[in-house]
Amino acid sequence: MAIKVPKDREVPFGAITPAPVRQQELFITSNWRIIRPVIDHEKCTRCLTCYIVCPEPCWSYNEKEDQMEWNWKFCKGCQICINECPADSLTAVPELDFEDGVVRLEKPF
Amino acid sequence: MAQEKMLSGCAAAAQGAKFAEVEVICSFPIRPYTAIMMELARMVANGELDAEFVHGEGEHAQVSVALGASAAGARAYTGSSGVGVTYAFEVYSPAAGGRYPLQMAIADRTLDPPGDFGSEHTDAMSARDQGWLMGWAATPQEVFDNTLINYRVGEDPRVMLPQFVCQDGYFLSHISDKVILPDLAQVREFLPPYKAPHPLSPLCPVSHGPQIRPDQGAPMDAQRAMTFLEVPKVIEEATDDFNRIFGRNYDPFLEKYKMDDAEIAFFIQGAHANTCKSAINHLRKQGLKVGMVRPRWMRPWPTIQIAQALSQVKAVGCVESSTSYGGATRGGNLIHEVRATLYDLENRPLVTSFMGGLGGDVVLLEDFYYMTKILSQMVKDKKTHQLVYWIGFEEE
Repeated sequence: MAIKVPKDREVPFGAITPAPVRQQELFITSNWRIIRPVIDHEKCTRCLTCYIVCPEPCWSYNEKEDQMEWNWKFCKGCQICINECPADSLTAVPELDFEDGVVRLEKPF
Repeated sequence: MAQEKMLSGCAAAAQGAKFAEVEVICSFPIRPYTAIMMELARMVANGELDAEFVHGEGEHAQVSVALGASAAGARAYTGSSGVGVTYAFEVYSPAAGGRYPLQMAIADRTLDPPGDFGSEHTDAMSARDQGWLMGWAATPQEVFDNTLINYRVGEDPRVMLPQFVCQDGYFLSHISDKVILPDLAQVREFLPPYKAPHPLSPLCPVSHGPQIRPDQGAPMDAQRAMTFLEVPKVIEEATDDFNRIFGRNYDPFLEKYKMDDAEIAFFIQGAHANTCKSAINHLRKQGLKVGMVRPRWMRPWPTIQIAQALSQVKAVGCVESSTSYGGATRGGNLIHEVRATLYDLENRPLVTSFMGGLGGDVVLLEDFYYMTKILSQMVKDKKTHQLVYWIGFEEE
């Protein structure tokens, strides 16, 4: 009598995971996000205020692209970055508006 | 050179830890298990055992220290009794779920209130769903042997689980009996060094016990449940090896005494089983066909083996040295699992239970005779009249 765990729900032995250097690959803490911060790269001045104020941080500066990059796996939609952006380059958009929006009833994660 | 010594259960446990070459020990005093740590402290102090001896600031700290040591790849040992066992409760699931094969010796003791040093199984029994291996010994020799067998089974890569090695407080922990101590070479043949799959180490960083998503919870539980399906096979292999190397004759799961033609049977774990066997010897002289089944493992519960052993008798009396207040039978713990084990059998024996050995009570020969009278009457009437009898409190 084996217990068949679906492949997409498998977990590592004893929940032992490689020690994360940047972020824990297997983890998501964003599935309750209901507001997504959307950036207008034209208005953005690369002042890095969003990176500084984000509790995670979910904003990082991508040097190659010369753009701010947003982390969908950990952003919880707290909207601090939207409030604090001095260039008004961030807008609050409902998560449900997006095809890849996380907070949907049909898929919990 | 193998030597024969008169050792109490506590001293035998300490010898077991010494022969297992444990690397980290965490102590905190509470009687009756405390004598184990006294012995180990003495051995470490005089160089007999090379181990890190840490004083925990409480039993919760003890299991936490042992868990940390095990996570770092060390063979860890700790222990407790009574309310000490329950004080450490928070750490039991992390130890089992984190797959750390540390060992905790429990010399059982009645739980407070108010303060009873006497033996009772409730302390360890209350942790039986936490995912540890666990079982009771009946003699100091078995305490020593179980210490080694439990490390072998617990550290097996197919298992990787912590173990409660239990013994009756006072009756076993503080009364001496013959113990044959082996050669260290024999132990090393039986018990390979502990190899943690992903120890905490700066050389290969890993995260232990990270936060998980709720949808990963059930798969974690399933992983642990699946391991327990594997454990009986590992127990059989380990016990066979043990018997071969040390010249013992253990059945992997049960001690069966005069069960071949038994009509009624006692189901009893721990040291009171020794009295039970003497009682059976006397009862047999009177022509009564009584036998005994003593489980050596509580977790994993040897379901198949118990069903097989008890299927032939007409009535079973579970001797309960632990309490389950408000439980299905309003008595002890063993009867629930025995009845569940026997439920699907074509011909089920009648099953009742006897509350005995609580609070540190001795279970007397006379008590076993009384229990036999009840079981015989049940067989005659083909009926269970009562599910729970309190020994010494019933109207005769």
